[in-house]
Amino acid sequence: MDGMDWTASAMRAARAQLDIATHNLANASTDGYRKSAAAVALTERGLTVAARATHEQGAVRTTGRAFDLALLGEGAFHVGELTTRSGAFTRDRDGWIVDDRGRRLHGEHGALRVPEHARIDADGMIRDGGRVVDRIPLPPGTHLLAGALETSTVNPIGETLAILTAQRAFETAQKTLLAIDATRDKAANDVVRVR
Amino acid sequence: MNRAMYAAASGMAAQQTQLEIVADNLANADVAGFKSAAATFADVRAGSIGLGTTGVGKHAVFAQGKLVRSGGAFDVAIDGPGFFVVERRGARAYTRNGEFARDADGKLRNSAGWALSGVRIPADALAARVERDGRVVIDTPAVKNRAIAHLKLASFASPEALRPLGATLFAATDASGRAHLFAPGGRDGPAIAFGMLERSNVSVIEAMMQILGAQRAYEANAKGVQAADEMLRIANNLHRG
Repeated sequence: MDGMDWTASAMRAARAQLDIATHNLANASTDGYRKSAAAVALTERGLTVAARATHEQGAVRTTGRAFDLALLGEGAFHVGELTTRSGAFTRDRDGWIVDDRGRRLHGEHGALRVPEHARIDADGMIRDGGRVVDRIPLPPGTHLLAGALETSTVNPIGETLAILTAQRAFETAQKTLLAIDATRDKAANDVVRVR
Repeated sequence: MNRAMYAAASGMAAQQTQLEIVADNLANADVAGFKSAAATFADVRAGSIGLGTTGVGKHAVFAQGKLVRSGGAFDVAIDGPGFFVVERRGARAYTRNGEFARDADGKLRNSAGWALSGVRIPADALAARVERDGRVVIDTPAVKNRAIAHLKLASFASPEALRPLGATLFAATDASGRAHLFAPGGRDGPAIAFGMLERSNVSVIEAMMQILGAQRAYEANAKGVQAADEMLRIANNLHRG
């Protein structure tokens, strides 16, 4: 790795940081979204950036819809084979609990199908009157809040700063690259000029 | 940089959608029986670094609005879940707006001309009222407290899937299921409140906060587009002719 490779890796890293920050910003209104953090590392291949998941709890807002679910603590909802922290669910006409894309929420015994006036308790138990219908599996220490959604953990100010920082880092690397190029230009064309 | 640019642009589009919905909520904040709407977004992922956001749906929020005493002679409100069934020219719709007026042929119609299904006030009625269990009772010169109709409410297996027709009217869809008609006034069920109107469930303060938040987030996303553009410009300047 020479100076040019190093600066090129710095430019790639700045671009990746911009990608992460803009993705975060775009999801400032995505319920259940947890922001990605840019993990920058110095390796023998130069600067590398990886998106790392964060585990900060998002603020909770009440929605007034019975099947909106907010997770307080770790864990995720299982919709089919996927997991998500977005808890915007409704009960469809056949009683399945579905998200806005129509994917079914799974409980301990597979896809959840509940009666109309079912209630979801903080421990994940789904009750119809006194009878337990099923349970939404939760890790220890996690609670559910029905009628509410966890908001995005993205902080627009922080992400705007990250965008500015990435832009300036990119600019600095470009200047450095130009300086290296100018030095090489001198070496190639001026130093050994034969008159 | 293109990836960042598209991600930021998707964020701008999302905030635009958010603003449109909140503006619509605010515009209808004083409409009786109006139900606020909310949008849902999801992040788009491909590999470890994401590609922005996408809207996945808009749905009505059927939370109860406050019941307020009104001046209207035939105003009714539902205390609890359910919808009034209204008809116009053979079409049927469902609403929680109970602002009705008596027309020439005794039908109770709202301002858009939709009539409350199954109710006709006779011409000789001096006064009419609706009991909490939905019985429509009139006083005539001859008889007092004569029940002439029984108001039924509609419920749906999945009310969120109803199709909005204008501000406060909804139509049944395949996804919502068929209307299930029931009599109000049961022990735990919804009841009719006569002489009252249900206000919209829009919280003006919350809507204002959402507008401010959406505006700022829109600006921040626009900054993202600018930064991506600026970095492309810088990259283009790497080569000094």
